[in-house]
This record gives sequence, C-alpha cells and structure tokens, in this order.
Amino acid sequence: MTAVTPTSFAVPVDEITVARARAGDEAALEALFRSFEAPVYSLARRLTRSTHDAEDVLQETFLEVVRSIHRFRGDGSLAGWIRKVAVSKALMKLRRRRGSAFEETLPEDLSDDDLALGPYGPATSAAERVDLETALGRLSDVARVVIWLHDVEGYSHDEIAAMAGKTASFSKSQLARAHARLRELLAPGVREEPCT
Amino acid sequence: MHLSLEDLIAVRDGEARADSARHAASCPECIAELSRLRSLREALAALPDEPPSRDLWPVVKARATAERQHRIWIRVGWVAAGLAAVFTLLIGVRGAIEAYVEAKVARQAQALIAESQRLEQELHASERQGRVMSGRTAGTVVQLEDRIAYLDSRLSRAEGERFPSQEILGLWQERVRLLDALVSVEATGTTYVGL
Repeated sequence: MTAVTPTSFAVPVDEITVARARAGDEAALEALFRSFEAPVYSLARRLTRSTHDAEDVLQETFLEVVRSIHRFRGDGSLAGWIRKVAVSKALMKLRRRRGSAFEETLPEDLSDDDLALGPYGPATSAAERVDLETALGRLSDVARVVIWLHDVEGYSHDEIAAMAGKTASFSKSQLARAHARLRELLAPGVREEPCT
Repeated sequence: MHLSLEDLIAVRDGEARADSARHAASCPECIAELSRLRSLREALAALPDEPPSRDLWPVVKARATAERQHRIWIRVGWVAAGLAAVFTLLIGVRGAIEAYVEAKVARQAQALIAESQRLEQELHASERQGRVMSGRTAGTVVQLEDRIAYLDSRLSRAEGERFPSQEILGLWQERVRLLDALVSVEATGTTYVGL
C-alpha cells in the first residue's frame, strides 16, 4: 500500500517521558495523555459518531495505557500502540451499541440539498469540512470505520479484517462502497460507477 | 471497459494487478477517477483533530487510582486467605501428627500394662510357693516394692492430672523394669539388682 499522510498520531514523545511513564510516574502519564488526547478523541468520535462514546473511548484507552504501559517494550511505536488500543475500544463501543459486529446496511440517502461540496479536494474551508464530516456521518458504521482506518490511519485490509472479525475481501468491498457513497453525497450528479 | 472502484482503489494503493495498473495509466476517465480518490483521501486526512470539550485526565486518574486500590485489596484478600489456609493446614497437620503419636504411645502403654500384669501374676505365683530368702534379699524386695508403690502413686496422680502421655509411658516402663527385677529377686534370691 502506498504511504498516506501521517496522521495526527505522529506525536513526538521523548524516551525519558516514556520511561518515566513505564515506571508509573503520574506526571509522565499525564504528559502522554495531553499529547494523545486530541488524536484519540478525534479518532473515536469519527468512528463512533458520538461525543459521549468518544469520551468513554478516550478514558478506556488511557486506563489501558496506565494499566499496561509497564509492559510496553519499546520495540514498536508508542503512538501505534495507543492508536491500536483506541481503535479496539471504539470498535468494542460500536459492537455494544449495535448489539452485533457491524451494521452492514447503508443509511438512508441524502437529498441533493443536504450536501454540496462539489469535486473532491482538500477541505479547506469550515463549510467544506462540515460537509465532509456530515457525509462521513451518513455512512454505515462499517463503511465509515473501513474508510477511516484504511484511507486515513493507513491500516491494511488484512489488519482491518482481523480487528473487525471479517475477511480482507469484505474490507475491500466496504471501502469501495464507502467511496461510492461519499461520491454520491459530496458530488451529486457524478455517476455512481466510474467505470463500466 | 473501465476499472471497478475496488480496482481503482487498489491502483491508488499500489496493490493492483499489472493489467489494471496498465489500464489506469492510459485511460483518461480512470485517471480522473484516481485523482478524485486521492483527493478524497487527502481531504479526509486533512480534517482537523478535535480535543474533548472537557478535561478528562482527572477522571482517568481517579479511575486508575481506584483500580489500583481495588487490585491491592484483592491481593491483600488473597494473601489473607492464603495465610488462613496455611494456618488451618498447619493445625490440621499438627493435629494429625499428635493423634498419630498419641495412638502410638497408647499402644506402647497397653503393651507395658499387659507386661506389668503378666509379671505381677508371676510374682504372686512365686509368693504362693513361700520361698525362704535371706535378710539382704528381703531388704532388696522391700526396696523394690517401695519403689513400685511410689511409681503407682505417681501413675494414679498422673492419670488424674492428665500428664503428657510420654510421661505416663515412662512411668509404666519403669514399673515393668522394677517388677521384672522383683520377679528375678523372688525367683533367684538375688540381693543386688543394680537399682
């Protein structure tokens, strides 16, 4: 897979802080929390679409960090570990909320007036960002999770399949469905199937 | 024939088959679609992070502290339960050992009592014969009988006062030894029995 733009989890954390946190130093643990609270909260909110659930995920993630950082051996990325914990907690939240693995059905269609971003491009203005956020919110849980984890966080289809308890093929098809749906929501009038 | 959206995403991610990649490189419509896919990925990645509306560190810290204290109490509980189990086991083992020793001592005491009774019967049989003995031998007999009488008084007191079983056993052993010596004196007229 080609490299994607580094996500907000690419937070510089010095080794001394990590070592102190591993030893249970409260100030170091708080420093880690301050470094990662926004990325973890944003990721959780985008996956769960709920500020309440996102706050829970943030708490659960850092409770796990406090509980287990002494076992973190440092041979991987701390940010990668924290992100993985956050994704796992968010997926658990979605499963509990839905009472099953993932909701596979797409939500109701939007009217043409709901969203109008026009052709894709970086969301530079606040209005465009709101539209993109709104469009993400109209995706099914599974489509939103797959497109965010794959296109933004850089997880492979195999990794997503393992986390979601599905197959890599399922992840690929959900990603394609998510893109088709976003195109429909963000650029009404553009044909749904690009190539026939 | 254009590529499907799934194939186009695979081309974008560098995971496509060779024929798909060749098509995507030469088809203007697929190139445009690829461009849109890349732009959307950039747009998603450019969405800004948003911090929570309230400070959640105090909550995390309080929950972590409560969890730690809970774990400590659980550990203390297990240690206490373990100590209680060990204490109970020790008492049980000690009780079992004591019971075993008591039973062994009781068996030995019974054997000594039986031996003591046998020797007394032998002594009475010897006395019935009315054998004549020297004055010195008679003195030895009296000395032995005095010591046996003293032992009997200690035995009756020991049983009344619940003396340790080993002590009672020792008294019975001594009584058998003295009776044996008395029988020997009665039978042979020995004047010295090494008392």
